[in-house]
Amino acid sequence: MPISRRDFMKLFGMSVASLLLTRCQFPFGVTCYAPALPPEMRTPRGRLRTLWLRFNELAQVTTADYEEGTHLSQQMETDHQANLDELVSGGELSASVADLVQEAYAAALYHVWRSNAPMTCYEPMLVDYAPASAGVLVQQAEALSLAAAQGSIDPETLAKARAAIEHDMAFYALGDADLQSMYDRFITEWQSENHPAPSFEIVELELTPDARAAAQFVVDLLAVK
Amino acid sequence: MTARPHLLSLIVEITQRCNHACLHCYNVWHGDGYPRGELTTARTLDLLTKALDETDCSHVTLTGGEPLLRLDLPAILDFLIKRRVRVTVISNGRLLDERTAAALLGRGVGLFELPLLADKPQIHDALSGASGAWDAVLAAMANLRAQRGQFIAVFVATRINIERIHETIKLAFAFGARGLMLNRFNPGGRGRDHIAELLPTPAQVRQALEIADSAAGEFSLPISCSIPIQPCLVDTNPYKRLGFGFCAAGGGRAYYTLDPLGNLRPCNHSTTILGNLFEKPFGELIASKQMTAFTRAVPALCRACAHRLECQGGCKAAAQVCYGSLTAEEPFLKDTSRGYRIKRKKDLREGK
Repeated sequence: MPISRRDFMKLFGMSVASLLLTRCQFPFGVTCYAPALPPEMRTPRGRLRTLWLRFNELAQVTTADYEEGTHLSQQMETDHQANLDELVSGGELSASVADLVQEAYAAALYHVWRSNAPMTCYEPMLVDYAPASAGVLVQQAEALSLAAAQGSIDPETLAKARAAIEHDMAFYALGDADLQSMYDRFITEWQSENHPAPSFEIVELELTPDARAAAQFVVDLLAVK
Repeated sequence: MTARPHLLSLIVEITQRCNHACLHCYNVWHGDGYPRGELTTARTLDLLTKALDETDCSHVTLTGGEPLLRLDLPAILDFLIKRRVRVTVISNGRLLDERTAAALLGRGVGLFELPLLADKPQIHDALSGASGAWDAVLAAMANLRAQRGQFIAVFVATRINIERIHETIKLAFAFGARGLMLNRFNPGGRGRDHIAELLPTPAQVRQALEIADSAAGEFSLPISCSIPIQPCLVDTNPYKRLGFGFCAAGGGRAYYTLDPLGNLRPCNHSTTILGNLFEKPFGELIASKQMTAFTRAVPALCRACAHRLECQGGCKAAAQVCYGSLTAEEPFLKDTSRGYRIKRKKDLREGK
């Protein structure tokens, strides 16, 4: 099914935000003790990159305070546009590509904001990426034990609920090396079954050149060493 | 060409059949004279095609009745996912065994809304009108959690269960709920026959909010109250961790509702039929005089109130269902606010 370039950019932005909010980390050198602005904050590209790496902050602020999260989201969108405008006026980016990059960022912001803002009836939050934290899992296990002590919960249900918590806890117990090893194993298994890692080209999308350029711009922005 | 109306969400009641008999059920077909029946699979997909073609809508909530009673649910889900629509399913959990949960998650259901009415099986089952309902919904939650599915728990606050709020939130949290809806009982449908035994008092609601606010912090669990709570009855300002909603009908956040025959209504609580989508375009139906009347309705008591634009007197659909008029005082306002109304009339007499 054909997809419009704007829809593509929205999905792209949301996907990037989801990846960033799980475990997909990019090198990021800003520290609050830096005596001056880190080099990457002195250029529009650097500031754009920083904005793409602030989804976690937006998620936390929105969860803590709905209105503050709304304000932060609006501010991030405005800042993103301003930095894109600088690139356009400097001739580094075409206006049409910048427009699509902004589309992706706005969709990503909305996705993160909506996923963390208190839900209302029939506008449920998207909760598709954030696994429960280790602390929450421990608290859930304790709450489940207390509930189990009442003796009303079916043993089979109880066992299943416990197993799910233990499964999630096991994920947190993995170190970085274990995780990398797991990902490597999945990739090897996938490829050994004659499934090559999918390339961008095989995805059935009817992309315009500016949409492709906009997506590539975001990838380059985030993948910078 | 007219722009397609943007919908944050569309509610689709795919069946009127249900395997529970909740005392608080608001389904409008329990009232007199509401059209009964449901469409075939092909016609249901035609209806959804028309709804999605005529709107800009990226989220559909499938509900009922009990939507899992429709054997063609997989076909409906496949269709919606193919149309790149996010799907939420509201279910009582009775049929969400391990295999079904896996099948529905595999087909792309993003979120389930499941009732958890108490931490005690007897209370949950009594309110659900079905024995074994509590066991079934906990099993459903465990099945979803085990397969990395997402669900939120729905607590309908009634006189019968409101005191169990803290323990119920804790149980929902223990089973992995990603959020909780704390909805005060809103009479309609079958619930209309149980107002006296179920409708909580403002004092009970206030106390429940206090407990829920504390629990939201204790468990880092988002909790929202989407059924309107009138500020004149309960000041919700102190409960900063809770989300509060008011009637969204007619506005940008409206959640129009399609019944199983294609009749469109302002929301799922309302009996007002704007028309049938097979007969008129979506845009025309929501621009109708009926919809305008629905949107503008405010009880006389509330006309001078500073909160009237957001609160609108509470749930006008409940007013319509219970007392026959959109501008009547809905049950929570009418039955629980005698003291307030006397004071308000006195204030008005004195020109305040």
